[in-house]
Amino acid sequence: MVQLLGNDTTGLAGAAPAAPAAPEPSVAGPAFAARGLTLSYGGTAVLADIDLDVPAGAVTALVGPTGCGKTTFLRSLNRMNDRVPGFRLSGSLELFGEDLYDGTSDPLVVRRRVGMLFQRPNPFPLSIRENVVAGVKAHRLARRSELSAIAEARLRQVGLWEAVSDRLGSSPFRLSGGQQQLLCLARALAVSPAVLLLDEPTSSLDPVSTAAVEAMLTSLVPDITVVIVTHNLAQARRIADHTAFFHQGRLAEHGPTARLFDDPSEEATRHSLSGHFG
Amino acid sequence: MTTVPVHGATVSARAHATRSEARRLVRRRLVDRVWWSLCAAALLGIVVPVAWVLAGVVGKGVSGWRWSVLTTATQGTGGGLANAVAGTLVIVAGTLVIAGSVGVAGGVYLAEVCREGRGGLLRGASEVLAGVPSIVLGYVGYIALVVHFHWGFSLLSALLVLSAMVVPYIVKTTEVALRNVPTAYRDGSEALGMPRTYALRRVVLRPAVPGIVTGLILAMAIAIGETAPLLYTANWSNGYPSTHLLHAPVAYLTYPIWTFYNQPQASAHRLSAEAALLLVALVVVLIGLSRLVVARTQRHTEGHRGAR
Ligand SMILES: Nc1ncnc2c1ncn2[C@@H]1O[C@H](COP(=O)(O)OP(=O)(O)O)[C@@H](O)[C@H]1O
Ligand SMILES: [Mg+2]
Repeated sequence: MVQLLGNDTTGLAGAAPAAPAAPEPSVAGPAFAARGLTLSYGGTAVLADIDLDVPAGAVTALVGPTGCGKTTFLRSLNRMNDRVPGFRLSGSLELFGEDLYDGTSDPLVVRRRVGMLFQRPNPFPLSIRENVVAGVKAHRLARRSELSAIAEARLRQVGLWEAVSDRLGSSPFRLSGGQQQLLCLARALAVSPAVLLLDEPTSSLDPVSTAAVEAMLTSLVPDITVVIVTHNLAQARRIADHTAFFHQGRLAEHGPTARLFDDPSEEATRHSLSGHFG
Repeated sequence: MTTVPVHGATVSARAHATRSEARRLVRRRLVDRVWWSLCAAALLGIVVPVAWVLAGVVGKGVSGWRWSVLTTATQGTGGGLANAVAGTLVIVAGTLVIAGSVGVAGGVYLAEVCREGRGGLLRGASEVLAGVPSIVLGYVGYIALVVHFHWGFSLLSALLVLSAMVVPYIVKTTEVALRNVPTAYRDGSEALGMPRTYALRRVVLRPAVPGIVTGLILAMAIAIGETAPLLYTANWSNGYPSTHLLHAPVAYLTYPIWTFYNQPQASAHRLSAEAALLLVALVVVLIGLSRLVVARTQRHTEGHRGAR
């Protein structure tokens, strides 16, 4: 009887799975730990032998010249490269102490815990409200009756509520680029991720929108770990606690942002961070 | 004194520049006008035949139009066309169900499921099928279904032959429509951890709907307008379509247009003109319906910004 009841509850949990994972273990460990990580396409290594700890609860910036593999590295953190033809990964990569690539983790679950924002805002062809709750519905994280409240809460969190509250049912493509990016941010936050990955999220935005997105990002820590790729060094300086500098297929240097910019130990870092790259 | 020639040279150079600029402007205007004339001519090349056909069909059909055509069945070469209208609707609906599900599934498979570079067999077979003349398909259907399977002239053999005929169009338009969906939607749904089939249904399919619907309309229009394969499989009947899928011939609108036109009786000619009018009206209604479907699914897409 008890056994049966137990089974039954499991069945229910299966139907409405993934109760938003409790906040990630606040153990002192890093959010991501890469060891001897090599990423390649069709046998050609893009990044080789990366050892990097991405600290939890902080903003980490990934910088480096165009084509040095920042995007490739970032997309490996939520297994977005899995289906890219020719992509191969060796070494190990852990998310909060769990290996991402040893065959035990489910990419869909990983991506719920590790959200992502792209260079160009990419709202779905759904209404504004449906955009915010798209992930919540996909993972069945809430009941139907709760969706409106979730949409409002997330839109408020990203500061978009005033602008869109009277047109939640209409198309997101009439919003400005900056507003669309904030909408995508609300969509990513709605599934309560532990980590947020951003690939040059402000490179297509005007300065005012950029400031709005940056303000949002810094308000997310320490609840959420933020990893941002940027080619804007000033941006890295403004918002990143830590910076990792990639150069010629290697991780040239990483550390607290201030130290990296003011007192780089590598010649390549000094050269690049004082000037500009591609 | 020395400044004068210099000044003169400057003036003449400037005048020269202005003149060549003016000439360039004239040429640009000319090219512009020729270009627009060609576009207008092309437009006329489409509009004139359509208007001509419509005027002919509507003119012949409307003069002496009898509403009883819609309520009575054909008797010999007289009577009405209600049986043919009903038959055509049943045939089109049946083809839409069979060819629509097979074709859309095939297109989704080619665009989404099979890996890059695979699916060559399905794509090749589909293209060959598209190239087979409809009368050949009709004949094969007659030999295989009507005669060999002993289905007789029947709705099912007509549906299968018409479906085989239009499936390639639906496969192609579905595949192309899905491939044209921006990768940003796929990236976005993948990054949210959506399962692929879920993302396909909820996000990726929606912007592809206009393309898919266009393929379905094309398929229906072809099915409505076909005669040859139906002669072999549905034959003709003076009665209304029944629930029997086998051993029951079916009436359809293209039959009287062709067959009755070659008969001597005035009543037969009248039916021929009326069938043509009904066929055109049916196609117009179908296109109207599909526009509505497209407008509804495209409310939130990138291309649609406000009034259109
Ligand atoms: N899907 C792919 N297939 C093959 N090579 C790729 C692919 N994506 C990126 N690359 C290559 O990997 C290198 C790193 O690209 P990327 O990670 O996008 O650099 P970044 O984001 O730093 O500009 C580039 O040389 C690029 O051409
Ligand atoms: Mg990049």
